[in-house]
Parts: sequence; C-alpha cells; structure tokens
Amino acid sequence: MKLRSIIGGLALMLTSSMAAHAADPVKFALCYDLSKAYTFVTPQVAQAAKDYADILNAKGGLEGHPIEVIVQDHGNEPQRGIECYERLKREGVMVFDMLSTPVSRAVLPRVMKDGNILMQSLAGRGDAVDGDVFKWVFPIGPTYWGQAANDVGYIKQQSKGSLKGVKIAFVYVDYPFGQEPIGIMKTLAQKEGFDLQLFPYPLPGNDQASAWTQVRRFNPDWIISWSLSNMHVIASREMKRNGISLEKYIGVNWFNEVDIKNIGADAAKGMKRGTNVAGGSTQPLVQEIIKELYDKGKGNGDRKHLEDVYYNTGLAIWSIGFEGARLAIKKDGWPLTPQKLKDGLESIKGFDANGLMAPVTVTASDHGGGGKTRIEMWDGAKWVPQTDWIASFPEEVWSVVKEQSAAYAKSDANK
Amino acid sequence: MLFRQAGILHTNYAQDRALFPIPADRWMIGGLLLLAAAAPFYMSTLYLSSYMLPWLVWTAAALGLNLILGWAGQFHLGYAAVMGIGAYAAVHAQRNGVPWEIAIVLAGLTAAVIGSVFAFAALRVKGLYLALSTLALQFVMDWTISHVPAISGGTQATLQAPDIRILGQAVTSDAGLYYVALVWCVLVTTFMLNLRRTALGRALVAVREKDYAAAVIGVNSFYFKLVAFATSSFIAGVGGAILIGTFYHAVTPEQFSVDVSIQALAMVIVGGLGSIIGSYFGAGFILLMPGVMNAFISWLTTQFGFSLGIETLAHLPHALYGALIIGFLLIEPLGLGKIYGNIRDYLLVWPFGYVKK
Repeated sequence: MKLRSIIGGLALMLTSSMAAHAADPVKFALCYDLSKAYTFVTPQVAQAAKDYADILNAKGGLEGHPIEVIVQDHGNEPQRGIECYERLKREGVMVFDMLSTPVSRAVLPRVMKDGNILMQSLAGRGDAVDGDVFKWVFPIGPTYWGQAANDVGYIKQQSKGSLKGVKIAFVYVDYPFGQEPIGIMKTLAQKEGFDLQLFPYPLPGNDQASAWTQVRRFNPDWIISWSLSNMHVIASREMKRNGISLEKYIGVNWFNEVDIKNIGADAAKGMKRGTNVAGGSTQPLVQEIIKELYDKGKGNGDRKHLEDVYYNTGLAIWSIGFEGARLAIKKDGWPLTPQKLKDGLESIKGFDANGLMAPVTVTASDHGGGGKTRIEMWDGAKWVPQTDWIASFPEEVWSVVKEQSAAYAKSDANK
Repeated sequence: MLFRQAGILHTNYAQDRALFPIPADRWMIGGLLLLAAAAPFYMSTLYLSSYMLPWLVWTAAALGLNLILGWAGQFHLGYAAVMGIGAYAAVHAQRNGVPWEIAIVLAGLTAAVIGSVFAFAALRVKGLYLALSTLALQFVMDWTISHVPAISGGTQATLQAPDIRILGQAVTSDAGLYYVALVWCVLVTTFMLNLRRTALGRALVAVREKDYAAAVIGVNSFYFKLVAFATSSFIAGVGGAILIGTFYHAVTPEQFSVDVSIQALAMVIVGGLGSIIGSYFGAGFILLMPGVMNAFISWLTTQFGFSLGIETLAHLPHALYGALIIGFLLIEPLGLGKIYGNIRDYLLVWPFGYVKK
C-alpha cells in the first residue's frame, strides 16, 4: 500500500515536471468590460491580444513557452473585476489588465499588496507611471497629462515656437477622465503665456450645445478636447453649427475610425488627434497578422476591426506585455515570478513593435515608457502624421505625477 | 413533516411571540449560522473573499434598503449615495486618527443626518415624485464628491482606506475580514427580525399601507417616515464603510454611482419587498449571478467545443440573467423570498396538501 502510493507520487511528480518543461503557458488575464461602458474599445483590444498571441505561438511562443490569453467580462463593475482578479491570480496568472478606470482603481490596492503585475495603459491612475511608488503597476503609454502636454507642444511648433497670446480652448466631459488634464494645462498656460479657457459639458456628452456657443465667443486658435468616441461626433456637429473650423480640433486618443465614419469621411477632413500608436492596417505587424491569420480564416474576430486604431492600441499594449514576459524568461529563466516579470518589463528598451507605436523605454522609475505621442490629421481618407513621436514639457508632467504619487505614498504609509 | 407543528403549544406570551416558533426553523438557522461561522475552515479563500464576503455586506445593505422600501413603503433611488456618504466619512475619520470602531459609528451618523436632511425635503412628496427626489440626492452626492477634492482625494478621486483595526489590532486576513462582514450582517438581520414585532415596525407598516389611515389611528406618519429614513441611512452608512474596509480597500465615486443604487433596488425587488430571507436571496442573485452565468457559459462552450466570439460570450450571460429575473418575477411577483415562503408553506403541511394553510 505504502509502496504503491510512493510510486504513484513519484509518477505524478515526474509527469508534472515533464509537462512543466514541455509547455507550461504564460498566462495573461484580460479582465475587460465587454458589455457596458468600454465596449467601444475592449473587443478590438482583446482581439488584437489573441491575434498577436497566435502569431507568437506559431513561432514557438515566449522562449518556448506558449502564451495563453484569458478574456473575461467584468461589466465595468468593480466587484466583478475584483472577482476576476482573485480567481485568476489563484490560477497562476501574474499579469492583469482591467482596461477600465473604476475597476483598475478598485484592483490597485490588492495588486500592490499581493505583488502582481497590473498593466493599465490608458486607464486608471495616471500617477502610476511613477515606478518608485507604484512598483507593480505598468501604465505603459502616455498619461493624460503627458498627452495634453504633447498637444500643447504641437501647438507651440505650429505657432513658431512661442505660445504668447495664443488662445487655447480646453473642452472636456465633466468627470474625472475629462478633468484630469486641467492642472497641467493651467501650469503650462502660466509658463508659456497662452490664453486658456475651460469648457466643460456634462455626461453622457450628448448635449454639448452650451459649451460650444461659449467656445465660439472665445474664438480660440486651437481646441483640445477630452472626449470619448461618440462625443467627438457630437462636438464636430456643434463646431459646424457654430462656424468653428474643424482644423483647430485636437482630440484625445479615444477618437477612432468609427467616429470618423459617423462624422463622414469628407466632413471630418482636418480633424486631429493625439495618439501613441500608428493607425491603419498598413503597419508591418498588422500586415503579418492579416497574412498569417485572417487570409487563412483564423482570425480571432471581425476583420473590419483591423482598420480601427483601437486594434493597434491593443497590439501596442500586449506586444509590450508579451515582450516584457519574453525578456523575463530570457534573463531569469523559468518558472516566472511577478518579480522576474517586473524586471523583464523594466528592461524594455526602445521597443516599437516594428513601427507600430512610439518607441517605449521602461525603467524602474518610469513605468510609462516615455509617454511619447504624435498628432495625426484626417485627410479625408487616412490619418497623416503631423509630428514625430514627441514628449513635450517632461519636467512639468513629472512634477504633476510626483505630486500625486507622493500623496498616494503618504496615504499608503498611514495605513 | 420537516416543519412538524404537532405538539407546539404556547403557554405564555413570550413563547407565542418568539421569532421562530417552529423548532425546524430554529434548527435551520442555527445550522446555517454554524456553517457561516465555520466557513473559513472549509471554504477556499477565493470563495470566502470574492463571493461570501461581498454577499454578506450587500445583504446587510439590502436589508437597510428593505427597511425603507419594504417596511415603510418609501421609494429610494439614492441608496448607494447614502452608502457612499458613510464610506467617505469613515475613511476620512480613520485617516484623521479616529479608531475604526468609532469611525463606522460616525459613518452611520453622518449618513443618517444627510439622509434625513434630504428626507425632510423629499417627504413632502410621495410615490414617483419621492423616487425622483431621492434620485436627485444621488446626483447631488455624485457631483459633490467629484468636484470637492477635499472629499474625493484630488484628481485621481481615489482614497486609500486604512486597514480595519479592532481594539488596535489590524484585521487583514481573508478570514478576519469575513468575520467582520458576518457579524455586521447578523446584527442587521437580528435588528430587522425584531423590528417586525416592535411598535416602530408596526407603525412603519401602517404608514406603508396608507399614511392617511395611519394618521387617523394616531400614527404620526411624517415622524415615522423620518425615522425610517434615518434608520435605513444609518445602516447604509455603516454598510458603505464596511464595504470599503473589508472589500474595496479604496474608495472612489464610481463604487457608489447611480448604477449601484439601481442594483441595490433590484436586490430588494427581486428578493421580495419586506422579506428578510428575500434580501439574502436578492443580494446573492443580483451580485453573484452575472459571474456564475459567465462561468457557466464558458464551461458550456469548452464542454461542447463550440467557440463563440468574445463579445457574444460577454453578452450572452447578461441576456440569460435578464431572462431569469423576468422569469422569477413572472412566477412570483413578490420575489425570491416569497418563492421560499411558498415552498415552506407547502412543506409545513406535507403530505396533507388539502389542509388549509
């Protein structure tokens, strides 16, 4: 009896250790809101993650370990996001992304306590780029502060290096997402001497009429707009109505091809957006995915999403995530731990996924990867880059970041 | 057979008015309490921390809403906002060095005061108008929290909650937090069970049935409505503080938004107005069913090997979940609590179904 159990135990150990060598997958959890507020972006991002994982797996995965992408819906409800995190963490997942500001905020205390990786590009606390305070959070990509600063940097280029007397309108939806850049805009207005006015409009953003009549009276040279998807469509309509040229409009990165189609490809000519990824399906990486997957009917979703900039956003987020894991295995070997993954992500240097996005260099203190964006203009058929990848006013941006993260560090120490 | 009633003779008033006159009920409650108390020993930490704990906290909150909605008959569409007031009050108090035990009482009192201030204005109107006034409370709170950095904690609008400390001892383990939630839920349940047989409870029911009629028999309906608002707000405030302390560990405005108010309302309506066990069922159903449905559908797809798109996979559980709510309410408009009541009534006299219940 005893002998048999020992043999059984040995056999079990042998098979399990063999399996570990053969094909232990690296798991990534995409706890996304696929059914409520973020549906304008999550399906494309999840599809991109799965597509890219398939491409890498066909080439042998991450140093021999296949990628497993787990997608689960949390409906933008914090408690379901926490459930997703708690469940998957016990299934051996170490890298999470929530892609929702409320859920990221709710999960953050747990992630910091447990020491797991939270990727939260373009969602959640912006000050989490401060890797010294937020050790386990990687909001790779620009913060909203950085993006706003880059927009101002572009306007400065356009105004021949001086912003004195330039009138900039900041139009935003009046809740935390829209309010976030106000601080940095005010700081920059003081430093650069441009004339800044704020124009909030209420959620859900279907009625912006009063904001835009005020914008008309202000008669700005440029308009920076913090709006989400369809709000841009409403904004363009109000601009037409008030006789404001669309060429003055610079949108935040949540402005995609679907919105352009809703405005009308011709009517939208001249509108601009800030972005950290190149749009369109002409990028080499997207072309490879089309050739290897979609032409063979093996894509992970609707082919029309490939034209959408949010697909590229997803590719950008997850190519960085996968690259970080690859570096981690290469440097420190299998089995992975969150600490190794963290080191892997922090050793990413000048990575741009074959020209898909702004080059990213992550360090232990900068988890944002540099925060570069560029301005693109819609020319009636495609997005035309107006600048290189730029990161303007880094000192001002970092002083905002440091101020906020210090407040977090203080409240965390008070526990 | 199960609920044998033969031989139960009440020889004094105290026995007659006992909470559970039938022994079977007492045994069941005792058994459930034992199971609940022993949960950390047989349940995985996942189930304990992600299912049981939020379920208990939300049940307590739903009971508070049931007090105002089910007992006093007053609509409340801003319940989550009241919970939020409590949560913010407790976190701010704790961050300023107030011990947790006092902070949650402060949370309850703050919520009760603000909730009643709104009630003063709201109680001049009835029915749908009252529903709208309480909805206004929700939006006023949302706006205040997001526009006053001193409350919300700056542009990030997140305040890290200090750990719960009971008598100076930090509670951080899953089991410890679970017991905090369990004790709170048992306290609220006991209060609600006893409310039914007090003068206050009977007055509330009189107000619910018809406030003019209540006034005629000498029940000051305005006073009792106000008491109902204050009491339910107190429970909501403490509930919000406990929700933050045991589950979220950080407070943000979205955790107490209008959607959450609607969810709380759904818990009470699906569970059953004025039903205590219904609040347990309702909270469990509304809170846990979407996750369970999600897991069930993904299990089905892997079991039968058909692949669904990411989006279909996310929306299908919602459709099923909605259909279930409609189904339950069609079968029994008085909610899940009433379904349980029907089954119990049937078993009370089983196998003699022809006995008049």
